[in-house]
Amino acid sequence: MNRVTKRTWMISLFILALLGGLLFFLGEYAFKASDWVIFSGSPHIYNGTNIGFGTVTDRSGETLLVMSDGRTYSENATTRKSTLHWLGDRDGYIKASTVSNYAAHMAGFDLVNGIYDSAGGGVTKLTISAQVQNAALEAMGSRKGTIAVYNYKTGEILCALTTPTYDPDNVPDIAGDETGAYDGVYLNRFLQSAYVPGSIYKIVTTAAALDCVEDIEERSFTCYGKVEYGSEAVTCETAHGRQSLQKAFANSCNCAFAQIAELIGKDNMTRYVSAFAVADSLTIDGVATAKGNYDVSQAAPVSFAWSCIGQYNDLINPARYMTFLGAIAGGGRGAEPYIVSEVECGGSTTYRARTSTSQRVMSEQIAEKLGEYMRNNVKSVYGDGNFPGLSVCAKSGTSQLGGEQDPNAMFAGFVQNEEYPLAFIVVVENGGYGSHTCVPILSKVLSACKAVMDGE
Amino acid sequence: MEELWNQIALAQEPLAGEYINFLRLAVPILTALLLLRCALPLLTFRREPEIWAWLNMPDGNQIPITHWENVIGRSKACDVIIELSTVSRNHAVLTRYDDGSWSISDAGSKAGTFVNGKSIQMCALDSRDRISIGGVDMHLQPITERQEERQAQLRTKAASGWDSVTNLLLLTILQCLMLIGFMLKAQRADFISIFQGFGGIILCQWLLFIFYAMIRRKSFELETMALFLCTMGMAAIATVKPDETVKQMFALIFGIVVFLLIGWSLRDLERAKKVRYLAVVAGVAFLALTLVFGTEYYGAKNWIIINGMSLQPSELSKVCFVFAGASTMDRIINKRNLFLFIVYSVVICGFLTLMNDFGTALIFFCAFLVIAYLRSGSVGTIALAITALAFAGVLALKIAPHALQRFDTWRHVWEDPLVSGYQQTRALMCIASGGLLGLGPEGGLLQYVFAADSDIVFATISEEWGLLTAVMTVLCIAVFGFFAIRTSRVARSSFYSIGACTAASVLTIQTILNCLGTVDVLPFTGVTFPFVSNGGTSMIGAWGLLAFVKAADTRQNASFAVRLVKKGE
Repeated sequence: MNRVTKRTWMISLFILALLGGLLFFLGEYAFKASDWVIFSGSPHIYNGTNIGFGTVTDRSGETLLVMSDGRTYSENATTRKSTLHWLGDRDGYIKASTVSNYAAHMAGFDLVNGIYDSAGGGVTKLTISAQVQNAALEAMGSRKGTIAVYNYKTGEILCALTTPTYDPDNVPDIAGDETGAYDGVYLNRFLQSAYVPGSIYKIVTTAAALDCVEDIEERSFTCYGKVEYGSEAVTCETAHGRQSLQKAFANSCNCAFAQIAELIGKDNMTRYVSAFAVADSLTIDGVATAKGNYDVSQAAPVSFAWSCIGQYNDLINPARYMTFLGAIAGGGRGAEPYIVSEVECGGSTTYRARTSTSQRVMSEQIAEKLGEYMRNNVKSVYGDGNFPGLSVCAKSGTSQLGGEQDPNAMFAGFVQNEEYPLAFIVVVENGGYGSHTCVPILSKVLSACKAVMDGE
Repeated sequence: MEELWNQIALAQEPLAGEYINFLRLAVPILTALLLLRCALPLLTFRREPEIWAWLNMPDGNQIPITHWENVIGRSKACDVIIELSTVSRNHAVLTRYDDGSWSISDAGSKAGTFVNGKSIQMCALDSRDRISIGGVDMHLQPITERQEERQAQLRTKAASGWDSVTNLLLLTILQCLMLIGFMLKAQRADFISIFQGFGGIILCQWLLFIFYAMIRRKSFELETMALFLCTMGMAAIATVKPDETVKQMFALIFGIVVFLLIGWSLRDLERAKKVRYLAVVAGVAFLALTLVFGTEYYGAKNWIIINGMSLQPSELSKVCFVFAGASTMDRIINKRNLFLFIVYSVVICGFLTLMNDFGTALIFFCAFLVIAYLRSGSVGTIALAITALAFAGVLALKIAPHALQRFDTWRHVWEDPLVSGYQQTRALMCIASGGLLGLGPEGGLLQYVFAADSDIVFATISEEWGLLTAVMTVLCIAVFGFFAIRTSRVARSSFYSIGACTAASVLTIQTILNCLGTVDVLPFTGVTFPFVSNGGTSMIGAWGLLAFVKAADTRQNASFAVRLVKKGE
């Protein structure tokens, strides 16, 4: 018997394996359960690809979406359309990752109770205002594009509309549409698109020139309507004649900027683009935006000249470019934009956004000078009267797309007023002439923003 | 009933929330209490040495004989060591029988074993017989009946009857609380079958207890824990497949009947040895039937469908395999059965290869290792080791490549959460959602995932009843294992020791593969959780294995599988 009984200890190996494995799992649970519970597709948190749990409101507390039980959107049809891309649809075509990223805070998860205490989920408050979103949607009408406004002191995004959009409670026949009205409808253009910037890129070029060409403001540039590079040329619609940098910027004179590009040089320009981060991806509430592009390594002189005018292979992402304008407005550094302002669950605030300011991208003097120039643009070209009560600084762009396509209308800038620290970008796809198309839209949106801020 | 329902329905809404708050705390507390009360006596009972006879040596020394099966020889591993060069390493085996009689058998010694001067192979003994081993003469002096009675009185008593009643009452309270939870939360149409399922368990456990009381057996800890596991399994089925609760209840009844039958057959060692041959044949027959009539699911041919009922006969083969592997000391030393057992293992291995069921093959392999290690003598070791190698080789070459696809996912489930890692990632998400205390009955969403009541039942229990309770279900199995080790050391025959240890190992390994596979600590193999997983044959097999653990329990009045000392039981 001894022979057998002395060997029964072997069974304890199996038991120890069981207990050891269990202990290992409990360790994993302690450290990883909060990730597991919010992993995309988690049955209690997600409904398809979007979060299916909790409530989303705008900055005023107006309910935009109750996510549980099949998702109940706003009662207002315009609000449903204007905020859709931040909330996601029922079918998971539009992925609202900015909100989903706060699932853990919404769920009110803790290791002891799991998600038991948070039945129904928390409330996520966005920084956008339904009122401004609706004003923007009405101003955009049936045009495609995006318009976004953010507070460059705090980082709050007041408005970020993307069109085309649709009413999730009354879904149109998108797949069967042949008019092109719903092209790219599932895209959040503000985050996911990269556009040819056109002349709004002259802000970048001007900033570079102010920094690296010593006597740039004393120099003058003559425009004959054309600068030739062998068989190719940089052209203007009219000959602008002799101009200072400020004047060339206001006239958006391509020929002058082709000459300025030569003064800056490829290497310097590439260095400034990188310092200003305008071609980089930006992360907003955990979501990375599309990357822009600036690559002149293979560019011939004419192409390099065009690259300084926002053509060639230049691309910008609207969110990133808006942030760049925020940095100029903030004297060389601005707040990073965000859209989720706070999350409440079970009576306590589980998340509150904090302002984080970007690294300095340019000196205060250059930022100030750019502001001066852009203010001058509004006063002398776009019309200050379009923005009553606001001192707006801006630059327009009309980006050529090639082929038969109408150019995209672009407009970017900021408001200088202490009480309305707003930076903005407007993109209207195939919208034609930049300021002509964008100014009326921006005018309505900025006055809606002003109204909302006055109300607060 | 109808009226009661309507009244409940009215009060249901506000009541349900409050009740679940209470239930989330009550279930783990009751479970912990129950586990503690059942496990402590099993893990702490004193193991006094029992003396069954004296061996009177020529020099006047008396050597105590402390087991029912004793090997005499020169080797240090023997129970009675005689250090003389004329004595073989393993010379002879002294065996005691139920009726108090003794026998001696030669273990293939060089010099032979003599009784009253005659060379014998096997011979019954009484105190006047002169035994001669390697030239040493000795007499066996069995203890008197009076001594035996005294010894029985001193032997650790199993828990008192009142302790068992209290435990069973606790379990019944737990079951009723859970049932009320389902009453408040479940669909009305489902509740009838949930009620039948839980009611069936409660009825079974009290009937079994009354039966024990009638035959004056008092220990009910193992059974209480097994019934607790069945209760948690029933709770999972109530959520996932409420229409299968009644089926599971019948499986439980069947299981308990098998438990009693195997226990009865083990009570008499001679009977057990005869039943063993039947079990050996049945074990192969179950596998053969599966191969001939079986249906293939997910690459493994492991199921027989009869009239819509799906059976997994390999679950029953495990019980037969334990039977086949257990053996008495004289046979182990004489290497009788060894050849048969090896042939048997090879045949089983062959069938499993054809069935292509990796999980089952792994369980058999581990059971084989346990049996081989416990039984092996010197020559036996080599033969068994070769068989083990062959077994492992087949496992590795034939079955594993097919199973390797699952191994790819192991520890990488989050990289493919929608296909190969689907069940495990959902299981982990839901375990996390449930926290330590759970979301309450019908509060879970894992029920919509495939095999939520079997392969990943650990997670279903964790989600609805909390991780604490789920962990305690696993601890129950660990207690079975520790108890098997402790009790097999004082078991009267190696037949019981080997049986208990192998059965406990199989239960433990299944739990390892099921629970740790669910949570991605180990690869996912789709093995059942004993007593818990939904499945009739699995339930019957688990109770069959528990009978072996029960049979090794030698505490006084503890096990129905051990005869009472006094006559007229």
